[in-house]
Amino acid sequence: MPEITADMTLDCKGLACPMPIVKTKKAIDQLDAGQVIEVQATDQGSIADIQGWAKNTGHHYLGTVEECEVLKHYIRKANPNEVNEEKKYPLIISSDELQKKLSENEKVTVIDVRETAEFAFNRIAGAVSIPLGELEHRISKLNPDDEIVVVCRTGNRSDMACQLLAGKGFKHVKNLESGMSGWNGSTINYDSQN
Amino acid sequence: MNTKVAIIASNGGLFDAYKVFNIATASAATDAEVAIFFTFEGLNLIHKEAHHQLPLPAGAEHLAEGFQKANIPTIPQLVEMAQEMGVKIIACQMTMDVMNLKKEDFIEGIEVGGAVTFLDFAKDANVSLTF
Repeated sequence: MPEITADMTLDCKGLACPMPIVKTKKAIDQLDAGQVIEVQATDQGSIADIQGWAKNTGHHYLGTVEECEVLKHYIRKANPNEVNEEKKYPLIISSDELQKKLSENEKVTVIDVRETAEFAFNRIAGAVSIPLGELEHRISKLNPDDEIVVVCRTGNRSDMACQLLAGKGFKHVKNLESGMSGWNGSTINYDSQN
Repeated sequence: MNTKVAIIASNGGLFDAYKVFNIATASAATDAEVAIFFTFEGLNLIHKEAHHQLPLPAGAEHLAEGFQKANIPTIPQLVEMAQEMGVKIIACQMTMDVMNLKKEDFIEGIEVGGAVTFLDFAKDANVSLTF
């Protein structure tokens, strides 16, 4: 089971509505875009509330894990420009093309550059988790001659990762178009491995 | 464009206060712009002394213990949070005159206005609520 790490942990245990939401709002204001917060709550209503809150504020709700009656909600702070950033890396691969390669057992390494919490809740089978921030110092573990497909949530972080890899002499790197948001193949999620 | 939430608070009990301030703080935390218009008994909810000891409805006094056990914030705490997050609090001038109340009788940071002050905010609100 992949480990989930968060940049900040917020304790809302024992608090009732609307406090988990109010405290989450205050806490997320302290984070940088792209960072992940873990909100611990015991209020069952917080499962629906946190999702509704994320939907309305534009932050990215990743999922919830329940452990010993504590709900751990994971949310990634959105970057206001995330959706509009210009793509620069020219080589892309569509969801259909990648699915075809995987189903035909072509030798292709899928690298998922999202945060570990995002990876844990929803990912392509066989994908390797290397958060974008760690890519540079884990690059020596990768083979520059391999065929590599990089994936993130929408295709922006993976675009940066592709440029980084190409700059280090990786020859066969492609960016998965639209990332997980455009992926229509099967995925592994947190529940299915419990 | 932010969501706008317009609330009228016209009752002065503890239940009313929680309905008003829970919705207000939750909305503000969800980046909505919130204004509450306090009128008639609703003025109790922002009255300096009264909002510390709002009454439970007749027959529901036994719930006082439940409020403590549920570990929910007090009304003054909720009011403070609401103000911190920019919830606009408007006291109804007309009712204040009728009840002989001054702006100084209320918590800090409120506005005093008439019906149009509220309507001006509420006319393009996405959510309008009356408690």
